[in-house]
Amino acid sequence: MRRVGIVGAGITDCRSRWVEATFWDLFQQATRRACADAQITTSEIDSVVYGIYNDIFEHQAIPESSLTGIIGMANKPGVRVTTGGATGFYAMRAAAAEVASGQSDVVLCIGGEKATDCYDPRSKTATPMVVDTIAKSWDPFYEYPLGATASDSYMQVCLAYNDEYPGDIDDPLVRAKIIEILNHAGNRNPHAQRRLETVTAEQVMASRWIIAPFLRLLETCMYTEGAGALIFASEERAKEIAARTGVPPVWIKGIGAANESYQPGRGGNYKRLSRIDSDRIAAERAYAVAGVKPADIGIVELHDAFVAQLMVTMGELGFVPAGQTRRLIDDGLMVDPRSLRDDERPEPGKLLINPSGGLIFGGHFVGGSNMFSTWSCRREMIARQIPLGLIHGTGAINACYGGAVVLELGE
Amino acid sequence: MTQHIENTVFPPDYDLEQEYSEVPGRDGQTYLQFASQMTTFYKQTYGEHSRFFLALREGRLIGARCPVCGNVAVPANTWHCPNCDFAEMHEVELPQRGVLAQTAPITIFPNSSFIGDAPFARGYVDVATDAPIAGFLPARLRTTTGLVRPGIFVKGLELKCVFEDVTVGRIRDIFWVPLREVPEHLRDKQPLRASELDFASPTPPAVAVTEAGRASLDQALSALQRLAADVGRSARAQKDLLGQQSVVGVKTSGGDFGLRVVDSHISVLATLPAEVDFTIVTEDPGVFTRWVHDGSLTDAAVEGTLWLPHKEAFQLLPILDRLPRSTRRDLRQD
Repeated sequence: MRRVGIVGAGITDCRSRWVEATFWDLFQQATRRACADAQITTSEIDSVVYGIYNDIFEHQAIPESSLTGIIGMANKPGVRVTTGGATGFYAMRAAAAEVASGQSDVVLCIGGEKATDCYDPRSKTATPMVVDTIAKSWDPFYEYPLGATASDSYMQVCLAYNDEYPGDIDDPLVRAKIIEILNHAGNRNPHAQRRLETVTAEQVMASRWIIAPFLRLLETCMYTEGAGALIFASEERAKEIAARTGVPPVWIKGIGAANESYQPGRGGNYKRLSRIDSDRIAAERAYAVAGVKPADIGIVELHDAFVAQLMVTMGELGFVPAGQTRRLIDDGLMVDPRSLRDDERPEPGKLLINPSGGLIFGGHFVGGSNMFSTWSCRREMIARQIPLGLIHGTGAINACYGGAVVLELGE
Repeated sequence: MTQHIENTVFPPDYDLEQEYSEVPGRDGQTYLQFASQMTTFYKQTYGEHSRFFLALREGRLIGARCPVCGNVAVPANTWHCPNCDFAEMHEVELPQRGVLAQTAPITIFPNSSFIGDAPFARGYVDVATDAPIAGFLPARLRTTTGLVRPGIFVKGLELKCVFEDVTVGRIRDIFWVPLREVPEHLRDKQPLRASELDFASPTPPAVAVTEAGRASLDQALSALQRLAADVGRSARAQKDLLGQQSVVGVKTSGGDFGLRVVDSHISVLATLPAEVDFTIVTEDPGVFTRWVHDGSLTDAAVEGTLWLPHKEAFQLLPILDRLPRSTRRDLRQD
């Protein structure tokens, strides 16, 4: 397998709705920015991997077909990946494999979503229809007819975790303090959807209920319209491009993935509800390939669909023991980016978690959310000279898809 | 779901007028948007799931058991065991009792197909409890004790399967209630039908009147009187109440009172009215004081400190929750 480097990244502004652009233009904007960042033209790109989660959002089956020409990928190989919330991660995994295998030298890995063109005629707002469209990811026989949503499915996992480990994620103040830190992070991200917002712990704990008893409005991720693009390159091309740009490559040091069974149950290969085993297995695999351990990592961009799930996931990724994830706050393990200069790295034992603002404050254009995370992680690793970072993705019912990527800052 | 007319797939009020409208961009330019839809109709086969749904129609619950590892697929959604090189599985009749596998989430903000249905609980029931390996059944969870609230559907709760009176072959043909809420003589009945249980008239929880409760209620009543007077002078608040009409009985540890909403006004009744639309109950009269000071009755109901008999009562709370803010905006700041 060949070494794979990330040599360029670009994202659009994250907005709750873009009336000024369809997903065609959003993907073009991201491509333009990524190419500008890597100082390459599309003629230097061999192939493209698209992350687009949901045909219903895009209002078009095979949505990527309409993008091929306008993002400069005509007559090149292109493949679309769609794996729920983990779409971005799996697109990156496919793009990395494309380079590592020698099939391509330079790959555009691009993802995005246009979600809030959806409209609910009853409430005359977008959100219930967006929630319903995502709920269509659940089967029509057993789950969807019961009113399943992404929120209640993830909260089912969090409540099951809480059955097993009471006294951890059930403290609303701890969750609200994590929100405050993510808020500060989002304020620093020039493309963040909620970069101008200030949210206090008190406001979080007084915001309206979405799913009782663990999820209030200000504890959930957003719906974002936007796109993000990364340029993956072989070692040779990465070094060449880095010499051109003067920006070091960020190497993909290890990738791990795991999907749990759709159906929960007891024993066998059923999904265990009380943990996110897919996150744990994916991270263990990524660490093993990379030859690193969680303590070596200084920055994590993780898929924080909901803040309680962020806590569970941090346990699964091995940064805190399962059942003691509140130590992120209690022991000050989660660094407030306001306490650091923009070129300063966290002290050993402490972590930057979602300096982008994550999916809660930064942006969550589903098919490209993990590209968004990677854009931020690379940016922070370079600015702060952090040697190792971790990207995490999750998706599908009951958080059963998991992915992790270890990144290493090049010379 | 409840709002759908049962003999049509598409809800009739679920439509959008044909529209090509202008919408302003952030850049000051004008953009155009069009109303559309992406609907597909299905006559979808249940295929290999048919046996499970055919059994539901007959008032039976079935699983598929693997003769090699003993895995019981609940529901019977596959007939070849994925644990055992796809060994053929055999139909087994399942008990109509089970255990809640994990504490269940309660949906307050539903998707567009379930607007009006919240709050509702769904969870996973361990039905084949004797099997060494078993799937969990996705389950609709209901209580006969009023509105669903945290603390009822917790891990390990014993549940009884209840069949709707008319079963058609869908997962909503059944739901599960706490076994302790089922009268003893009905606990082994198979199938137990929904009409054999009483969901319409839940018994309100008993609250004892205490001295502390009385003092707290005095405070709440004067706050409520102030709010009622403010609503009388606030156009925003009156708009919030437009079209609402109900008489609500309130029982607290400080004593009882009533709230009447009519003609866009709200009034406080010193005693429990003889005729009420419904009665709500709370141990803590401070719930109302906090509401007047920008707290939330909805939250109190969601969190379980305010007891409600049914979902219809719940629909009034978000409207009432708007009043303190509306009066403040009209009377204090403007």
